[in-house]
Amino acid sequence: MLVSVLLIILGFFAGLLGALTGIGGGVLLTPVLALYFGIPIREAIGTSLVAVITTSAASSSIHLQRHTTDIRLGMTLELATAFGAAVTAYLVGYFNRNALEGLFAGFLLYSAITILTKGGKIRPEDESSPAVNGETVIPPYEPKRYPLGLSASLVAGALSGLLGIGGGPIKVPVMYLFMNVPLMVATATSNFMIGVTAAASAIVYYRRGDILVQLAAPLAVGVFMGSLLGARLAPRIHTKVVVYLLVGVMFYLAGHLLFHLLQGVI
Amino acid sequence: MSQVREPAFDRAVAMVLRVGAFSCFFVMLAGLFVGLFLPGPIPLGIERAGVLLMLATPVVRVVVACFLFFREKDWKYGWISLGVLVILLLGSVFGIGEH
Repeated sequence: MLVSVLLIILGFFAGLLGALTGIGGGVLLTPVLALYFGIPIREAIGTSLVAVITTSAASSSIHLQRHTTDIRLGMTLELATAFGAAVTAYLVGYFNRNALEGLFAGFLLYSAITILTKGGKIRPEDESSPAVNGETVIPPYEPKRYPLGLSASLVAGALSGLLGIGGGPIKVPVMYLFMNVPLMVATATSNFMIGVTAAASAIVYYRRGDILVQLAAPLAVGVFMGSLLGARLAPRIHTKVVVYLLVGVMFYLAGHLLFHLLQGVI
Repeated sequence: MSQVREPAFDRAVAMVLRVGAFSCFFVMLAGLFVGLFLPGPIPLGIERAGVLLMLATPVVRVVVACFLFFREKDWKYGWISLGVLVILLLGSVFGIGEH
């Protein structure tokens, strides 16, 4: 009972932060479940995947209504993300706990740094694009360098299946910087792809019994409310504060994971 | 081709995701609520149904997009969607309870 309430609150904040910053929020759930709820890492990953699908479905239905999602590009890259995710979900049993925790800490640090440095990479034309009389205006573009995009998607999918995350911090910069996709479209499309990517691995985790249903339910309820609220608030909230908050939490979790890892080694 | 926007297509896919997310939310909420009064297998079964709904939502989304692409005679993306669907379905065939 108490655990369920805590999980709803955890899901709510993960969903809220994720939707406000566009990072998905799943990256917070696996380490919190493993470190503070004492869930074995593989079950933590499987359970977090359900919440990741929920965030993706709730937020990308809103992005789709704004017509900022490139369904064709998303579907193409999903060939790679879904394949990578299904394969690593199958292989996760061959990774030991320490390897997964170390990989996760590395991914948290990488994501935090990506978020912090993104400000410097914004192309000037992206700042002026939002909302002209209610319609979102997207500059014409043609996705380029599909082989690079597909390779990066394969890596993002593989990490998703291994860590229970969405992989947005890999896909968004690749689509934006290398595939010539506007940032708004890259974010929406990455969000859109996460559902299928996470489902590809979650199905494997589910069949193996690695999704803890009694934890997934309160998490999903919280994440759903948090991400819908976040998506509504996103245009109105000063995101800089939220971004620093998220980055702070990510550094803290990475530190705790590394500390936990060292404790296990010594 | 990629920057062509089709509002009806977007709406249909958005609808699948919204229905999936909302129904999963309510089913899981019902499971938690029933669990307050009646601990045991019944709320767990409801929550399991919620998890399965959530896992099925992206699959249905791919099926719908695949159908829409083929109906538009957009063969390339129809086949791509079918490929994604095959990967999703293979995942549910393999990886059964070992490790």
